[in-house]
Amino acid sequence: MKKSEIRAKILESLMDIDDTVDYEHETALVTDRILDSFAIISLVGDLEDAFGVEITTPQMVPENFDSLDGMTAMVERLMQ
Amino acid sequence: MGYNDVMYLAIFLPVTAVIYKLIPKKYRPAALTASSWLYFYLSSQELIIYLIAATVWVYGIALLIGKSQSPKVRKAWLTAGLTVLFGTLLYVKYTNFFIGTINHVMAGRESFIPLQAQKILVPLGISYYTLEAAGYLLEVYWQRVEPDRNFLRISVFLGFFPQIMEGPIARYQDTAMQFTAGTDIVPDNIVNGCFRILYGMFKKLVIADRLYLVVNEVYSHSGSYHGAVVALAGVCYTLQLYMEFSGMVDVSLGSAQIFGITLPENFRQPFFSQSASEFWRRWHISLGTWLKTYIFYPVTTSKMTMKVNRKVRKKWGKHAAKVVVSFLALTPVWLFNGLWHGPQWNYICYGIYYLVLLMLEVILEPAKNAFYKKTGWDKKSHFFQAFRVLRTWIIIFTGELFFRANSQSQAWSMFKSIFHGFSPAQLLPGNLPDFYIGSADVAAIIVGTAIVLGVDIARERGVHPIAWMRSRRQPLRWALYYGLIFSVIIFGAYGTGYMPVDMIYAQF
Repeated sequence: MKKSEIRAKILESLMDIDDTVDYEHETALVTDRILDSFAIISLVGDLEDAFGVEITTPQMVPENFDSLDGMTAMVERLMQ
Repeated sequence: MGYNDVMYLAIFLPVTAVIYKLIPKKYRPAALTASSWLYFYLSSQELIIYLIAATVWVYGIALLIGKSQSPKVRKAWLTAGLTVLFGTLLYVKYTNFFIGTINHVMAGRESFIPLQAQKILVPLGISYYTLEAAGYLLEVYWQRVEPDRNFLRISVFLGFFPQIMEGPIARYQDTAMQFTAGTDIVPDNIVNGCFRILYGMFKKLVIADRLYLVVNEVYSHSGSYHGAVVALAGVCYTLQLYMEFSGMVDVSLGSAQIFGITLPENFRQPFFSQSASEFWRRWHISLGTWLKTYIFYPVTTSKMTMKVNRKVRKKWGKHAAKVVVSFLALTPVWLFNGLWHGPQWNYICYGIYYLVLLMLEVILEPAKNAFYKKTGWDKKSHFFQAFRVLRTWIIIFTGELFFRANSQSQAWSMFKSIFHGFSPAQLLPGNLPDFYIGSADVAAIIVGTAIVLGVDIARERGVHPIAWMRSRRQPLRWALYYGLIFSVIIFGAYGTGYMPVDMIYAQF
């Protein structure tokens, strides 16, 4: 799957959670508490379903969830 | 020796800072270890063996986890590490709770001989350093940090004297490296640190220790009060707890700042929260972060939970899955939170109270969104924001009413008594009991709280109070310094008619 497709799918999931956030430019989604832990639960479920990856505890760090780019990179890593 | 003791503020802290400043940089980490262990010894004497043993244990176990390539062996070392840490905590803090519970359950049965309560001394700060130690081992196990070969760094990370009594509970990666940096003590940090300490002392001595008199009177004779007076006691206790706990954390953070060390913030204007979950992201932040990092996320991403998540999503949809996963992850979080505060049923009920509230937030989320969509009302309007803040206050005050109670039965009877003859007129001057405090005390509480509220509003708007103050012209700046110093000296609740009040969170 292409990087742009991964990114688009993640963006779709994020918009489903909260469509008022500018995900293209936001770089501190978790650090600035824009996404709370409940949102992260939904997102993890969505990503696992959409990409068939397994997101484990060591991946649960702000760097992986703070931005759309971070999430895309994490999914790419897990798909390899 | 609490952080509000003259011994700490006038002798221990300055002497440690002077020695730290004078010695060569390479000896500073050793000086921090020595001063931290000395502080512990002065407060807990021979119980320092617990802290030293935990430090050696954690240091060694982390190296063993890091050394092994086998997942099974790594897991075995982690399990051993956590078992000893939490086993010790359970033994010193909870033995008598379990004995009492067994005696209560078995009472009345033939041939049952009640178990004797044990005399166990609780080491200073064990609830705090155990969590830091467990967090560090988990980070090493998850390979998010390298096992640390510097024993002094681990010693200070677990025992740093400004943190040991009431936290904040730090993550290894947030603080540890600063302890061995040997940062010089510089005037800027001294001024900022001392100002923060003074502000903390203001909150404790001028406000919290006066509110203590009101709260203590109502809780000591709870049967004599009802209606709005009991509700007022709940509000006063919440304020007392905030002023005292955040004040003592200000002293911790200010003390650390003198050494050029930044500890994590523990409060972020909690009374501006618009929901119970937001409140817990702003109140005792370091405990919330620990619970989220080391219990909530591991449970939500565990194989069992993910399996349930997938099944429920398929069958009943995303929202149902979120509810189920939230329940599975929040239950251990809130039971742990309640029990961590101490071996009492009212703390456990306090945990369950927030579990129920947070679950309701998750369950009702779609209905809430549908409501705003259908009515077209703006949920971000000032009216709804104010409504949510007020609603959250009621939630917080009710929770703290239970939290402070001496027993579960007292908590329930006090809660019920609020609705017995409730009248706002009970709070009018003349009708209100004097609670053994004078009108000058009431004025000190009101003015002091207004000042703290003003600072909190400024912080909420992004203004950093110390930076703001330091950017003022010299006359105003010095007037503020002296104003704060003299308000603590003149209006602090000590001397005749007052009694020294221990730090609340140091007992947890």
